[in-house]
Formats: sequence, C-alpha cells, structure tokens
Amino acid sequence: MREYLISVLTEGAIFGIMALGLNVIWGWSGDFDLAYYGYIAVGAYMTLVLTVGPAVAPAHYILGLTLPYPLAVVIAVITSMAVSLVVGSIALRHLRGIYFSIVTLGAVYVMYVFAGQYTPLFNGYQGLSGLFDPMGDWFGLDYLSYQYFLLGLCLVLFALVFLFMWRISGSRFGMALRTLREDERAAAAFGRDIYRLKLKGYVLGAGLGGFAGALFAAYLTAFNTSAWSPVEVIVLYSAVLVGGRGNIWGVALGVLIMGLLVQESTRFLPMLPGLGELNTVHPQVLLAARGAIIGLVLVLFLRFRPQGLLPERRFADSEGALAVAPQTA
Amino acid sequence: MHDALLTLGFGIVTASILALSAVAFTLQYGVTNVANVSHGEILTVGAYAAYLVHQRTGSAIAAAIAAALAGGLVALAMYSSLIGPFIRFGASPTVVFIATLGMSFVIQNTLVIFFGAANVAYTLDPGAPRQLGPFLITPLDEEIVVSAVAITVVLFVIISRTKFGKALRAVSQNRELARVTGINATRIAGATFFLAGLVAGYAGFILAESVGSFNPYFGFGFFLITLTAAVAGGLGRAFGTLAGAVMVGLILEFAQTVRLPGGSYVSASYNLAFAFAILAIVILVRPRGLFTNARRSIFE
Repeated sequence: MREYLISVLTEGAIFGIMALGLNVIWGWSGDFDLAYYGYIAVGAYMTLVLTVGPAVAPAHYILGLTLPYPLAVVIAVITSMAVSLVVGSIALRHLRGIYFSIVTLGAVYVMYVFAGQYTPLFNGYQGLSGLFDPMGDWFGLDYLSYQYFLLGLCLVLFALVFLFMWRISGSRFGMALRTLREDERAAAAFGRDIYRLKLKGYVLGAGLGGFAGALFAAYLTAFNTSAWSPVEVIVLYSAVLVGGRGNIWGVALGVLIMGLLVQESTRFLPMLPGLGELNTVHPQVLLAARGAIIGLVLVLFLRFRPQGLLPERRFADSEGALAVAPQTA
Repeated sequence: MHDALLTLGFGIVTASILALSAVAFTLQYGVTNVANVSHGEILTVGAYAAYLVHQRTGSAIAAAIAAALAGGLVALAMYSSLIGPFIRFGASPTVVFIATLGMSFVIQNTLVIFFGAANVAYTLDPGAPRQLGPFLITPLDEEIVVSAVAITVVLFVIISRTKFGKALRAVSQNRELARVTGINATRIAGATFFLAGLVAGYAGFILAESVGSFNPYFGFGFFLITLTAAVAGGLGRAFGTLAGAVMVGLILEFAQTVRLPGGSYVSASYNLAFAFAILAIVILVRPRGLFTNARRSIFE
C-alpha cells in the first residue's frame, strides 16, 4: 500500500508538470495542440539514449551514451524544444483553429510512426529500457529509499515549475499570450508580434513537456510505443479543462481530480458490489473504463462548465468593466 | 510497366473505400461547419455490426446492410446528442472539434470494454484473383470497387437532383439564408448525418473486409487518412473531396513501390506519415483545397 501511494504521487507530480506545460499552449496562448504528447515522448526517449549506454545487438538506437542523468535531462529538454520549434514554426505561421490542430495531429503521428517503425532511431516498437534508479548510487540508496527520493525530487520539481509558471502567469509575457487567445487582431493592433509570441509560448510549453518526459523515463525506467500514444493527450486536456484553463491553481486541481482521483478510482471499481467480475472479463477493461470516463468528463465540462472548477481571474480595468471578452476556445 | 498497373489496381481499391469515407465526412462538415473527429468510429461501429451479423447469419449482404444501418444510427446519435446541442449553444468550431475528439475516446473505450482491444479477424474468401484488363483483381476487390462506385453515383444523384439534396446544399452554403427560406436546417443536418453514417458504416465494412482484421482503434487510424483526402479536396465540397480521395488513395499505394537506397521498399506502416506529409503541404499551400480557386485565407 505504501509503495502504491509513492508511485501514484510520483506519477501525479510528473503529470502535473505535463499539464502546466500544456496550459501555456492551450490555457494562455489558446491553441489546441495535439502534438504535445510527442514532445513528452521526445524528452523520455532522449533521456534514455543519453544514459543507458551503447546498444547491444539486436537492439539499435542512436547515441547510446552514459551521461549523468541531470545533464541528459537538460539535453532532452533542449531536443524537445528544438522539435517543437520546427513544428511550431510551420503550424503557427498561418494556421489557427482546427487547421492548426490537424497539422499538429499529423506531426505527432509522424513522430509516433517513426519512433515505432524506424528501428535505428529508438529501437522501434520495442523501445528503450535500462534506466535504473538514476542518481541513486550518488547517494547510495537502496530500492525502497530510492522510491522516496524520486517522489521527493518530482514533488520539489513540480513545486519549482509551479512557482515559475506563477511568475509567468502575471508577467507581461503571460498577459500578452492571453491577449492572443482573446483577440489576435487587437493584439496585433497594439504592436504585438503574434507569430513570435505564440512560438515562444509553444516552445516553452513543449520544453516543460520534454522535462516531464525525462522524469517519466526515470519513473518508468523504460519507454516504448506502447507506453505512449498521441491520443493520451486527451487526459492532460481533461485535467486542464476540469481544473480551470489558464489558471495554474486550477490546473493543479485538475491534475488532482483527473490524474489521481479518476485514474486511480477506476482501479477500485471491481471492489464495488456487483462489479466484482469486471477484471475477470479481460485485462484492458479497467483501462478502457477509465478512458471512457475521462472522455465523458471532457465532453460534459466543455458543454456545461467550460471555464472549469477554478476559473481564470478576469482582469478588470480601473472603471471596473471587464477588460476581456468572454472566453472562447 | 506491369508493376505500375498492378499498383494502380490496388490503389483503386484503396481509393474507392477512402472516397466513401471522405465524402461522408465532408457532407457532415458541410452542413455543420465543424469537423467530426469521431467520424472514424462510425466506420469501426459499422465493422463490428457487420462482423456480428455475419457470424449469426452467414450472409455478406445482411452484414453490409447491418453495417450501413449501424453507421447511420451512430452518426445520427452523434449529431443529435453532441454536435447539434453544441452548435445551438454557440460553441466555436474548435470546441466542437475537442468535444468530438472526446466522444471518439468514449466510443473507442466502450468498444474495448465490450469486445476487447485485440484484433478481430474478419476474412472473407477473396476468391481467386483474375486478370481484368491490365489489372490483377480478386472478386472481393471487384465487389468493393463496384459497390463503392454505385454508392457514390447514388449519393451524387441525391445531392444534385433531389429536393433534399438542394436543401442540403443550401444549408452547406449558408445556414441562416437557408433557414430564412423555410428550410429546417436542424432536420436537414440530422438527415445528412444519417445519410453520411449509412455510407461511412458501409465503408467500415468494406475496409474491414479488405484489411482482413480490425480492432476498436481501426476507424480512428483510417480517419486520419480520410481527413487528408477531405482537406486536400476541400472541406465541405463533395466533388472536390471525391477527387482528393482518389488522389490520396493512389499516392499511398504508389508510395509503397518506392525503393529506398538500401533496396528495400517503404513499409506500409509509413502510410500515415505519408498521408500527413501530403496534408501538411496542402494546408500550408492551398488551405481551401486543391480544387478550389478561392484566393481567400482560412481566416475568412
């Protein structure tokens, strides 16, 4: 039970960093980006190829270095940002709305297909493994104390990212991103360089995704195409939406609700009276029930409470009138 | 030369399935102005319905009818329970896009709960391949192509010759003006979804037949290619979409005959990547589709 709690909380902290990154792109900048999970995956794959050492046949992958974990994380984040810079500079230049979403969906499927099929890159669908307890031997930790260490590390990093996002949220940059979401033309009329601003926000968000991916790799110790799928991003979107799009406190609440409550409570469904035979049907049934519930919650919140449980604070001018129009997606 | 003709033969099979799916998608887009991301699940449901009925009755025709009906009902349910209410509530196209993506997640996972995530083998005897003109084609492929062409013809007669088709086109072009002239836009949109669902459900059936197996995620994968065809041809434009589907279907087949520098062929697994490369180029160069002459940007 204790180990279960540790693992759930570690995953929750990592999930929280992912959601905070997504909030920059969708919550503030207002773009429904479907490639986001790709940047998480790039972060995870890069961390692995930089730390696990050279490939042993029949495995194939690039690099195969044995760098210290923190250095690998930094390089992984930079790689994620570079990939997002390429995708973003193509997709953000002229496209908005569903056309932007469609192109990013395409981008992430290209990444997914290449990661899974092109073996010389990341060993194809078998993926990478062997990242055991990074930094553990620096402190001479055994298996259980390492779990505590990783949990503490992820919580501290989540807190730092949260603090960073809190600073950005009220900064001129954060405000400028929100103006793009509300009215791009008005922002342009005030002399904002829309494309550069959006691209900055996009790369920042993707960098956080890559960072979370690097931690995710340490948590999972391995990564392959069955560990991620482009549509997983829906879970992150549901967390941001339920909590309150654009409000980082809301995003944290959303992660607690969708990431911990919904995700973990489905695990206990078979314990309810009358549902005991559920997990004897077939192994994926609980996972699927979780997915269906998350999709349903997403749809219901979009329809009945699009501002989320903790709505973003509206900034009023000195006359007391609302400074921004009602939120549109 | 002979190889190229063989590829063309396979390409026509792919293209005719793609054409049904893409035209159905573009009709839905036309009457609502929103992209239904859960379109692929109509195909999946069609395939499962066909499989179940085929197991019970053993008749391929009953299976085809079941696939179409199931598809039509699912599409109608999608419109009346999700897309219609969102539009009336004034949601933006992006919000409906997200909502239908959520819906697609719900349907996929519900199918997993009932049928499991494993592949279901669905192989009909394709019959012995025979030479038809320059093509080597099996009777099963022949049925697929002939039925797809027949359905497309019927669909285009409905759109261009009947009163319902006229109303459909009116709602597609300008919903408000159509309503002013006394057309019940909601009812026309619902009927269009049902019609599109019939076609898409049948497309799911022939796709499953042609691939030989399917699972709950199978429609979503094909939806991504459908989207490419529809966007390439012009979203909401039935004739353009038809041309786009034929083009994308042929390109995907021919892409597999390209030899890599090492002498090996490009694997079919890269199909999706190819499709999206086409899509990205089309959206960036001609966002309104290849067969339109409008110079306007997508912002208008």
